[in-house]
Amino acid sequence: MFSTTGNTEATKTTSWKVVLPFYGYAAIAFLIATILLLFSASDITSHYFLPHTLAIIHIMALGWGTMMILGASHQLVPVLIEGKLYSNKLAYASFTFAAIGIPLLVNGFYVFNMGLHTQCGGILIILSVIAYLINLAASMVKSKQENVHAFFIFTAALWLLATAIVGLLLLYNFTEPLLPKGSLNYLPVHAHIGIVGWFLLLVMGVGSRLIPMFLISKYNNTRQLWWIYGLINGGLLSFVYIFLYTDSKSLLSIPLLAVAASIVLFGDFCFKAYQQRIRKKVDEQMKVSLLSVLMMLLPVIFLVIIITLLILSPKENVSLIITYGFIIFFGWITAIILGMTFKTLPFIVWNKVYHHLAGKGKTPNPKDLFSKKVFKWMSVAYILGFVMFTAGILFYSAIVLQIAAALLLLTSLLYNWNVIKLLMHKPVSL
Amino acid sequence: MTNVITNDNLQCTVALAALQNVMDPEIGLNIVDLGLVYQLDFDESEKKIYCAMTLTTQFCPMGESITNAVKENLKLSFPEYEAEIDLTFDPPWSHEMISEEGREFLNEQ
Repeated sequence: MFSTTGNTEATKTTSWKVVLPFYGYAAIAFLIATILLLFSASDITSHYFLPHTLAIIHIMALGWGTMMILGASHQLVPVLIEGKLYSNKLAYASFTFAAIGIPLLVNGFYVFNMGLHTQCGGILIILSVIAYLINLAASMVKSKQENVHAFFIFTAALWLLATAIVGLLLLYNFTEPLLPKGSLNYLPVHAHIGIVGWFLLLVMGVGSRLIPMFLISKYNNTRQLWWIYGLINGGLLSFVYIFLYTDSKSLLSIPLLAVAASIVLFGDFCFKAYQQRIRKKVDEQMKVSLLSVLMMLLPVIFLVIIITLLILSPKENVSLIITYGFIIFFGWITAIILGMTFKTLPFIVWNKVYHHLAGKGKTPNPKDLFSKKVFKWMSVAYILGFVMFTAGILFYSAIVLQIAAALLLLTSLLYNWNVIKLLMHKPVSL
Repeated sequence: MTNVITNDNLQCTVALAALQNVMDPEIGLNIVDLGLVYQLDFDESEKKIYCAMTLTTQFCPMGESITNAVKENLKLSFPEYEAEIDLTFDPPWSHEMISEEGREFLNEQ
C-alpha cells in the first residue's frame, strides 16, 4: 500500500531562465577557446606559463567547465539534494558576476597585464562562487534529506572558492609581493585544488547520481561513494600540506595514490551501474560520458610519470606538464560536458517549450530536438582532434598541432550548432 | 502485467489505456508500465477520477509535465469527470515496479 499525501502538484523544477544563460555562455567560451588554440597551437609547446596559454586554460576552466557545471548544477541540485533551489536571484547573481569577471580575467592573462581590471575579474569570480555557495547551502538546509551527493557538491564548491581565492592572491602577488615566493611557485596548488577539489569531486558527486539514473541501473553503493569522498579530500589536503611545508617530491605519491584510488573506485562504481542497467541500449551521449570516466585515468598516468621524473631529476619536463593540462581541460572535462550537455539541455528546452502542451497532443521527444548526425560528427572530430593534439605536444609537431586545433575548432562549431538549434527551438505539434 | 490497484471495471481499463499514452520523455516508456501509477478510483457521485501516482524521483524535472499529461489524458477519455492526482513518494518508485512488458521494451531499446 502507499500513503496518500494530498499533494496534487509536482514540485516545480528550476526555471529554464536561470539555467540557459550558463549553457549559452559556456558554448561561446568553448568556441573562443578553440579559436585561440588554433592561433596559438604552434607555440603552445614552449612553456605552460605563457600569456596565451594562461588565457586559454582559464577560458576552458572557468568559461567552459565551470559555467557549464554551474548551469547544470542549478538544474540538477533539486534532484541531487531532493529539495528545491533556494533562490533564483542568487543564481542570476552568480551568473552575472562570473559572466563579467571571466572576460576581465582572461583578457588580463592574454595581454599579460595583472593590474586592476584583471584583479576586478578575480574578485567578481569570487563573488559568483560565494553567491552559488550561499544558494547551495540554503537549499541543503531547507531540504529534509541528507545524502552523499549533496556533500560532494557542497565540498566541491568550497574547493572552488579556495581555488578562486588562491588565484586572486597569486594575481596580487604579481604586482605586490604578498607571498614568500613568486606566484609561479604556487601554481600547482591553485591548479590542483581546482582540478581535483572542484571538477573531480563535483563530477563524481553528480555522475554517481546521474549515470545510474540515465542507465536505469539498480546499482547503488553509498559506502563506496563515501570512500571516494574521503580519498579525494584526504588526498587533496595532504597534497597541499606536502607541497607547502615539505620539499619532498616522493611524498607527493601519497596524495597521488589516494586520488588514483578514488578514480579506480569511481570507475568500478560506473562499471557496476553499467552492468546492472535495465535499459540495454546506451545512447551516444552516455557513451561519450562513460568515455570521459575512462579518460580520468589518463591524467593520473601522466602525473605518475611527471612525479617520477621529478624525483629522478629536479628539471621539469614541460611537454609532459602541458600534455597533462591539455588532457584534463580538453580531454576529461570537455568529454563529459560534450556528452552531458545533450543529456540535460534537450530536457530543459523541452520543458520550456512543451511544458504547457503536455498531454494536449503529440509532442516531439526531447532527444529529437538536436541533430544526432551533427552530434556524431562532433564526437568524431573531437576524438581525432584530442588524440592528434596530445601527440602533437609530445612529439613537438607544429603541423599536427595545427590540424588538431582545426579539428577541435570544428568540434566547438558543431557543438554550438546543436546548442543553438536547441535554444532556438520553436514548438511543433506532430 | 501492471500492478495498478483499480476497481476491476471497464472504466478503469479505459483509464489505464489512456495513461499508457503518457510517456516518461527520458526513458521513452509509458508511465503505467514504468510503474508510476499506483491506484485509480472513480467516484461516481462526485464525478471524479482519483489517480495516486509517483515520479521516478521526487524532484524530477519532468514531473510537472508528466502530471499535466496524466490530467489531460484522463480528461480526454472521460470529459464528464474531473481528474485529481495524489502524488506520493511512499513507497518511492523502484525498478521492481517496472512491468514485464516495460522490462521487455527496455531490453529491446
